[in-house]
Amino acid sequence: MSKHLKANFKVKRKKSSSSKPEKDKVAEKFEREALRHLGGSIAFVMKRKEFVWTGEEKSDE
Amino acid sequence: MKILFINPSIREEDNPKHVPYGEALVAACSEKWFNAQVALLDLNILRSVLKPEQLDEELRTSLEADDWDIVATGGITTAYSSVKRTLEIAKPLCPDSLFVAGGGLVTSQPLEMMHWLPQIDVGVLGEGEYTIGEVIEHCHDRDFAKTQGVVYRDRDRKPRLNKERPVMPDLDVLPYPAWDLIHTDLYFRNSSLLLSEEAMLAKRRLDIAASRGCSFACKFCYHLGVIGDLKTHYRPDGQLDVGFDNLGVSRTLRWHSVEYIVDMVKYAKSKWDIDFVDFLDENLVAMHWASPNRDWLFRLSEAWVDAGLQPKCVRQGVEHDPEKCREGIHVGGAAHAGLIQPEILKAMKRMGFTYVTYGLESFDDRLLKEMGKAATGALNERAVKITMDHGIRPIPNQIIGFPDEDFESIRTNMRMWQKLGVVVSPFLCTPYPGSQYYYEYKDKILDQYDGDLESFVADLGDATKPTAIISKNFNAIELVGLREAMVNFNWRLIDKYEEIWRRNHGLPPRQHTISPEPPSK
Repeated sequence: MSKHLKANFKVKRKKSSSSKPEKDKVAEKFEREALRHLGGSIAFVMKRKEFVWTGEEKSDE
Repeated sequence: MKILFINPSIREEDNPKHVPYGEALVAACSEKWFNAQVALLDLNILRSVLKPEQLDEELRTSLEADDWDIVATGGITTAYSSVKRTLEIAKPLCPDSLFVAGGGLVTSQPLEMMHWLPQIDVGVLGEGEYTIGEVIEHCHDRDFAKTQGVVYRDRDRKPRLNKERPVMPDLDVLPYPAWDLIHTDLYFRNSSLLLSEEAMLAKRRLDIAASRGCSFACKFCYHLGVIGDLKTHYRPDGQLDVGFDNLGVSRTLRWHSVEYIVDMVKYAKSKWDIDFVDFLDENLVAMHWASPNRDWLFRLSEAWVDAGLQPKCVRQGVEHDPEKCREGIHVGGAAHAGLIQPEILKAMKRMGFTYVTYGLESFDDRLLKEMGKAATGALNERAVKITMDHGIRPIPNQIIGFPDEDFESIRTNMRMWQKLGVVVSPFLCTPYPGSQYYYEYKDKILDQYDGDLESFVADLGDATKPTAIISKNFNAIELVGLREAMVNFNWRLIDKYEEIWRRNHGLPPRQHTISPEPPSK
């Protein structure tokens, strides 16, 4: 349940349906921390679902 | 023979994150090859647990703790102020000791350092592992006339520079760094690096150098005199001075055997239970392509896995969970965008690489060509994409303020950052002593420091803040402002500033005053 939502009744759902899996949380934490310390050698490329390299150069797995 | 090595403070705005690898190597050689008794006072890590006044007291106590034959210090150029202060405290306390300084700051400016730091008796240029043996041999007679790779004072205290020492042919003869002299427990507190998820979660990281050198000749770069490019030459006034072969013809790339590297990492794992290795190498992929069968990284990856160093999560093909993944060692290191290939990334991933740092510098082809990067915007884009695609984080280092930087190159970078999802606040192009830019723009540097070169050197940091600017179009104030607008993708501010800039420079307005919409993702 949101820690910040204030209501004069009990809301139906305690957890967001879009709760993220643990691995996404770690990635988010990393990007958040890197953004907080951004500068010089602290730089990154955002991991996004739509970011998929469809080129021919992926090595065979 | 007793030697006190002093590692100065560096990058004091950040936690000390990296062990003094070079100094620890020279200390190990002094002990194992030349039978010296060695001690190391690491002021850089101690600043994380001591107050400044306690740090000075620790320095004084250590200097008075024994009769040191040699007091040795040094570091890269940005450690200059700290080295100067250390020497000023140390010399009066050990007046009979031989004071030796080494590292990048002496190598790039040996005569200047002997002038600015009168406490130094001998300066070591380039690799110090063999040179320290001759310094030890002549510590008491102080006759260094025949010692290659040093600058020393003659009987009249006048600086004399000798010819350079050839780089050592075989790195595998080196002992491991004197890690026992390093406060690894304190460094482990700063293990976390914001370069990948695994690096961020690291608890026991150790740095390792697997090679020396780089095959490229970027004009902003300086290789500390350890890649064969350091050449002494006579100036018109007859004084011997140092210079660097910027064409790259005398480069000597050297790398450890994969057996040496794996044995060293296994040793560190057994002794300190390390969980992450940060390769300090300038350019790992250059070594791969220079190796006889172009297979160095393939063999390293294979040997790493065979030795049981592959992280458990990589072996199982699952996301890293530090609670469950306690076997193996994750890795990070640097490469060149023009040399990276999918099959290399596959080998790196299998070994446990979690990030690869690329000095992309810019996405503008014109600038990349001028700086001698041997890459293009397209190659940089490709490197970012294929690295991401192999599950490794690319670290996309950027620099602004190159000599020919202009509004268009700035916009080119912003468009590509937006397209690729690059989040970065660029370095400012800095003409570090020893780099080609330093020699090319020395007059411009001196102009900005009222002719006081020492002030410039003392001002040098990690290039995130402005020092001497070599851009033909922008001054320091403009570059700092433009960087701010770039980081925030403030196209409007840049357009508006260009209007003013053009007016002030007597140029016609830009044809399109509104920046085009960034390309679709």
